[in-house]
Amino acid sequence: MDMLELLNFYIIPGLVLGSIYALGAVGITLAFAILRYAHLAHGDLATLGAFIALAIVQASGMPPLAALPFAMIATAVVAVGIDKGFYEHLREKPKIITVMASLGIALMVRAVVQVVWGVDAESYVRGIVRPETYWGLRIKDREIWTVVFMIVLVAALQIFLARSKWGKAMRAMSDNPSLALLSGIDNRKVVVLTWIIAGGLCAAAGVFLGINTELKSMMGWQMLLPMFAAAILGGVGRVEGAVLGGLIVGVAEELSVLVLPSEYKAAMAFAILLFMLLVRPTGLLRGKVL
Amino acid sequence: MELIGLANYALFMGIFIGIYALLALGLNIQWGFAGLFNAGIAGFFAVGAYASAIVTGPAAEGRLGGFDMPFFVGWLMAMVAAALIAWPIGKICLRFRSDYLAIASIGVAEIIRLVVKSEPALTNGARGITSLPRPFGDLPYVQSQMAYLAIVAIVLLGAYSLVERQFNAPWGRMMRAIRDNELAARAMGKNIERRRLEAFIFGSALMGLGGALFAHFNRSITPEAIDPMVATFLVWIMLILGGSGNNRGAILGAAMVWIIWSMSEIATDQLPAEYAVKAKYIRLFLIGLMLQLVLRFRPEGLLPEPQRGKAVADSNRE
Amino acid sequence: MNSKALALVGGLMAATALAAAPAKADVKIGLLGGVSGPIAAMAPSMVEAAQLAISQVNAQGGILDGEQLVGVVGDSACNPQGGTDAATKAVNIEGVTAIVGPHCSGAVLAAAGSVTIPAGVVLVTPSGTSPEITGLDDNDTVFRTVPSDDYQGRALARTLKEQGYDKVAVAYINNDYGTGLANSFKSEFEAQGGEIAGYAAHEEGKASYRSNLAELSSGGAETLVIFDYGDGTGLTLLRQALENGFFTNFIGGDGMKSDAPIKELGAENLTTFFASSPVGEKSDALDTFNEAFKGAGGDPDAIFVTTSYDAAFLLALAVEKAGGDKAGVAAALREVSNGEGEAILPGEWEKAKKLIADGTAIDYKGAAGDQNFDEAGDVPGTYALFKVEGDAFAVVSEMK
Repeated sequence: MDMLELLNFYIIPGLVLGSIYALGAVGITLAFAILRYAHLAHGDLATLGAFIALAIVQASGMPPLAALPFAMIATAVVAVGIDKGFYEHLREKPKIITVMASLGIALMVRAVVQVVWGVDAESYVRGIVRPETYWGLRIKDREIWTVVFMIVLVAALQIFLARSKWGKAMRAMSDNPSLALLSGIDNRKVVVLTWIIAGGLCAAAGVFLGINTELKSMMGWQMLLPMFAAAILGGVGRVEGAVLGGLIVGVAEELSVLVLPSEYKAAMAFAILLFMLLVRPTGLLRGKVL
Repeated sequence: MELIGLANYALFMGIFIGIYALLALGLNIQWGFAGLFNAGIAGFFAVGAYASAIVTGPAAEGRLGGFDMPFFVGWLMAMVAAALIAWPIGKICLRFRSDYLAIASIGVAEIIRLVVKSEPALTNGARGITSLPRPFGDLPYVQSQMAYLAIVAIVLLGAYSLVERQFNAPWGRMMRAIRDNELAARAMGKNIERRRLEAFIFGSALMGLGGALFAHFNRSITPEAIDPMVATFLVWIMLILGGSGNNRGAILGAAMVWIIWSMSEIATDQLPAEYAVKAKYIRLFLIGLMLQLVLRFRPEGLLPEPQRGKAVADSNRE
Repeated sequence: MNSKALALVGGLMAATALAAAPAKADVKIGLLGGVSGPIAAMAPSMVEAAQLAISQVNAQGGILDGEQLVGVVGDSACNPQGGTDAATKAVNIEGVTAIVGPHCSGAVLAAAGSVTIPAGVVLVTPSGTSPEITGLDDNDTVFRTVPSDDYQGRALARTLKEQGYDKVAVAYINNDYGTGLANSFKSEFEAQGGEIAGYAAHEEGKASYRSNLAELSSGGAETLVIFDYGDGTGLTLLRQALENGFFTNFIGGDGMKSDAPIKELGAENLTTFFASSPVGEKSDALDTFNEAFKGAGGDPDAIFVTTSYDAAFLLALAVEKAGGDKAGVAAALREVSNGEGEAILPGEWEKAKKLIADGTAIDYKGAAGDQNFDEAGDVPGTYALFKVEGDAFAVVSEMK
């Protein structure tokens, strides 16, 4: 197999897929580090975000990328609402209670999507798009957009976390919650902020998955486990780690077909994860060990 | 007629509750007493179910099986197989704490599920194994259900008393000590890794047994039965609702979840006929909502862990 | 247990008792489907098709002595847990006379093994295609209106070979439906002298299958045979294969004959896409059904709707024939579909009811084939190859 073929059919699709995983994994890793529980409704929130964008696209006729900001805002609002309604009063309890609650939320969000939008496969734009060729590389516009948007969103998030007052507060909460609380950081605001970011990124993951394939009511749930694998792989609490983890999982899944029977493709993310946990339990980028 | 129908349905529920209670009991050993976040229940469930199916099932061409053993040998083998699989997994994964163990065990369970689906020579692949013997399966419907319920109840009672005895024995005290304060336990010279591994294997064997009971009840086992939602997360909900750390709570939790599961359908069936399909989605919504309500008002579970000695149990736990 | 929990359980029990209040005048059949779970996208149309049969019965004089036929929808969730729960509820609490469904083979095997066979209730699955169902020791109570995968795979292989496809690659979903079709297709295609230049299963629900496709196309085949669901993973696979130009021709099994590819990918892009699907032989049974289902707001191109409709209509005929006697339904089901007697087409309930009352033998000719059950309760298939024409599927050729 020549280099171009490897790039075109394995690496590029892997990077696009990995970018989608990365968007979800960043939200997961933030929730994990700041709120300290595994949020199992993440996939279904992504589904919700994708379908909200679909509603906007169908109602207004704007392209899906233009609908993305609205979907992100809407999903962020929903995420904050879910936190207020269901997670907030469990904060003092053992974290496993919230994990279970998030499982219930996953069922509820999916049910809402199925009742409102039905269960048929949908797409933002009818028809197919053939890739353009740049120096032998076969790339579609939407794939470029996916990767570019992922990078822009994550870079913006990084700048926010590094520079702004609230970003620093979030990092402080993630590093040492008791110290952060002692130094006067408003925990509730940090939590709301975390959900706004996680919800928005969720919606972005869902919309880009929808743009690159189709929208289905189970699409987010089916992405949940690879996204978790990506978050842990990169190191919990490390945004750039989640991106790296997502890209690695995406590329590894695509490359796995070369060495494994293709029915084991889904096992690839976990095989890498198990290996990583054995040799380097903090993840690629020295995340925290919970 | 209607009452008899209701009673028949209750029999069925009893069997399902019993089987899931075994799974919840196994999880209680791991999480409730040893603090091990095993999110790969489906994997051990699958190993148990398929081990028993291979040992007791009829012969088939091109596939392992045809030993035609009686069912209790199959069930024994289910426990042994689940324990044997749990041993290396525990050896490798138990060094991870809490959430890492969870994701590692989910990964292992997914890999087991893919193997089960993709290796026809071992498990008949996606088609599953059928025509398994069911004890007292030749009796008429109602009697056969009653007999199976009795068997499940006996197995559950046996497992329960065994686990309960272990918990109150020095072993159980040691487990709780390790869970609540690992450092202190280590300082006292307890072999923590070994105790954890024991709890993991013991719990996994019970999950394997649950899988075998499930397979023989349906006379078949197919990969659809080991979906993470119905075979892992559902069991977790049961244990947390019932009260982790309490064996009776685990059993009660299994009962509660199946009752919620079924009753929610009866509630949504009241919707007009044109919503018949949508009603099933609303049902899932209701199940999620009920879970929220129970967690909201009884976060420690219906039957909380009995406070033995000083009340420190939950405060140190993640 | 504390009193609050007791009160809750008690209240729920009371609710059950109320909900199960008898409605004597109705004859109920259970419509169990994988409404939630992996085939959630397919189940609603299948349930609707079965309900069309029921509403036709009710509109044309009802069943037995003018009683209403009622379809009780249950969610089998496409897994054994859900399947047995829904079947037990249907049989015991709803008191159904017979059951259409469940949809997934795993749910069928479990529901049959632990509920309907012991309880002696007839079960007709419209979509459980696993060969394991054939071998069930079922006292003649388990039937299906969809041919076993084995048949379709072989017929498709012969047809393709005849039409000059010599070298194909096969992509199939890793479940009982996909594996069954792919295995039989492969063995027949190779027996006919064809070459399988790529053969791989894929897991459902992934976002990208381009590497799978690249791997499959590396064998040099121009034609991809897809055994998957057209409104599920099959759609993603077909889209990515078309967009990247991995193959030029695409052949699908009956699962791919769904309107989703046309709706989402556009008919203009599907000129080289063909799909096999069961059809009613030498009759306009299929057209009659298509028209009726369209009239009821359904989509006749959706997967397994014809078989679902046939299952429900056949069961209604059998219940009528058996005089509402639950134990006689199985025998009656064979009588109304044994290939002898006056032909009944989809929707012809009034005519059938009259003939049954007169004691004349009838034979149902279904939308998905003649539906003459063999010893094991299976039906031989009648398949045709369809192509996309306008915004719908049209028959290209019969498959033998």
